[in-house]
Amino acid sequence: MRVLEVNHLKKSFGAVQAVKDVSFQVEQGEVFTIIGPNGAGKTTTLEMIEGLVPPDQGDIKFGELNWKKNGDAIKKKIGVQPQLSAMFDLLTPSEHLQLFASFYDKNRPEEEILKTVNLTEHKDKQVRNLSGGQRQRLAIGLAMIGDPEIIFLDEPTTGLDPQARRNLWDIILRLKRLDKTIILTTHYMDEAEQLSDRVCIIDQGEIVTIDQPDALIKRLTVEREVRLSFLEHEEAAINSEKVLTELSVVSRIDRDSTQLKIWTEDPEYTLLELFNYTKQQNYQVDQISIREMSLEDVFIEFTGKEWRD
Amino acid sequence: MNQFKQMFLMHLKMTFREKQAWFWGLFFPVILMLIFMSIFADSDDEFEASVAVVEENPNEVSTAIYDQIEVIPVLNVDHQLESQSEAEQLIIDQEVTAAIVLPQTDEDSDVLLMVNAEDEQSTTTQVVSGVLSNIVQQMNLQVVGASETYAVDFQTVTTGEHELSYQDFLLTGLIALAVAQGGLFGMIDLVDMRRKGLIKRLRMTPVNMSLFGLSDMMMRLLFSVIQIFVLALIGVFLFNATLHINVLGLVVLFLVGALSFNAIGYFISSFSKTTEAYMGVANIFSFLMMFLSGIFFPVEMMPEWLHPVAHVLPLTYFAEGLRDTMVYSIGIESSAIWFHIGVMALWGVVAYIIGSWLYRRKSIVATR
Repeated sequence: MRVLEVNHLKKSFGAVQAVKDVSFQVEQGEVFTIIGPNGAGKTTTLEMIEGLVPPDQGDIKFGELNWKKNGDAIKKKIGVQPQLSAMFDLLTPSEHLQLFASFYDKNRPEEEILKTVNLTEHKDKQVRNLSGGQRQRLAIGLAMIGDPEIIFLDEPTTGLDPQARRNLWDIILRLKRLDKTIILTTHYMDEAEQLSDRVCIIDQGEIVTIDQPDALIKRLTVEREVRLSFLEHEEAAINSEKVLTELSVVSRIDRDSTQLKIWTEDPEYTLLELFNYTKQQNYQVDQISIREMSLEDVFIEFTGKEWRD
Repeated sequence: MNQFKQMFLMHLKMTFREKQAWFWGLFFPVILMLIFMSIFADSDDEFEASVAVVEENPNEVSTAIYDQIEVIPVLNVDHQLESQSEAEQLIIDQEVTAAIVLPQTDEDSDVLLMVNAEDEQSTTTQVVSGVLSNIVQQMNLQVVGASETYAVDFQTVTTGEHELSYQDFLLTGLIALAVAQGGLFGMIDLVDMRRKGLIKRLRMTPVNMSLFGLSDMMMRLLFSVIQIFVLALIGVFLFNATLHINVLGLVVLFLVGALSFNAIGYFISSFSKTTEAYMGVANIFSFLMMFLSGIFFPVEMMPEWLHPVAHVLPLTYFAEGLRDTMVYSIGIESSAIWFHIGVMALWGVVAYIIGSWLYRRKSIVATR
């Protein structure tokens, strides 16, 4: 079932065209991730969908509902965690949840949310005494209190320590199991790769591509990077390099003393040939690795930009 | 209904936990009251001058004058002396304000008044000399056997049934000031919420914003009621202020007053981007009103050219109205009360209309 449809969104702030043309659809139960460099228009796109900023052009439909006619009905169906979530410094997480719960017709139980976002211990601390990560988790909790069908998470793991990030991934996967739809933006490629059903790459206000993370990676050239190093002196590396250059599947080799970096279309065949030679010469191979292509490579490929964390 | 309850609870908790609210709302007015009461509350004691009387040679005339002096309350005869030189010393040492030297013989009809040269022009000297002349005048009349043709009758006039002491004046003024400042400064929350993006955050939920504003207002009114109670209790029990409250009049006046000052705060918040800007404007307004609205001293004591300013400021009418309803027990049947209410309501309505127009025009919520 299609829960969200966005058609040809456009938005300018003065002379700056923040969003040029964005269209996509999201199905129920999906984790849909929007990634892109800073200033690509992610947050503006999200804010238009959340009803905070009216688009200059284009339309947004939540099933049959749209912002002009059914604003309140949409607000009851969605939960939002903004990038910088404002809160009442003098209130506790528990009080925040109770207050926000009163805004909605249906709620998820307070204890369940506190447990989900790992704040049960801190539920009676005033927000001004919480750490950045705890605040961030409370913000996510507040997005869930109204038992929404669609949850928007704008860079939920930015500023969290690795453990807290993992916890948050669990939360997102748990929500997905509850058949909630999640629309996510993130700065972390591994996150997008791990969590998303589909990834949408935005650059300069336009969609570059939308697909499943695996499919995007597969779409990259088949070439893979193999790294290995020898225990012996440079000689082993130099001789091996000569042998490998003769293979047609190898496109490029970088050598740094005893280390080799080999780009090849067929890692299996390349390694087989190499091992035959090293066994014959009695060279000892120390380390070997085949680098997986990641979403980061996809990103660089599609946007021509280095990824910056 | 649950939404309103939760919002009200939220405002209640935040006000309770906000130390600034307690300081400016309760502690500060109480301190102001303690200071001003202590300084000025005793100053309306009766005028008294201590004098020495020199009677070197008691005789019929001197005794008659002396008897007259003794019954006059403003003259305290602290020393009865027999020589003029002793009196001179007392005056030099400033032990007494003046010395009265009575006639030496029956034939001598002169009374001598001795004062310190420094005090020659002082009010006390004037008063003592006036009193003394009056006594001598009486004696003269007696001697010629005439009675007074002209006399001064003395009568006090107040606007109400009860007299207004400085305690009552200051107490009602400070209550008015505290409630007014509560409204004036209270809307800083709104600026702060906007700056932090809380309003934007709330608008992402199906929250009813007018309910939110209403619950905030209820909380403020409750806080003001607490202010009135605390200040009134301190005034009555510590400083013997006498209150005769017309409850209905007070409630109506209080509601209109508190709402109007909140509206003025709302107006200030509509054009203040930062809390600092808000505080600046609110402070200017607050100081103007504090000294020009007859809080610490009556408007009549100010120079003539400042009177029009006082008669424009809303706090003048709030303080006057509180005096009418809390001290003179004047109720809503009086047109004066409705005039006070009317001026405040006008301020409130105008401030609210301009404020919400500014809010709409800038569509603050969309600011990023």
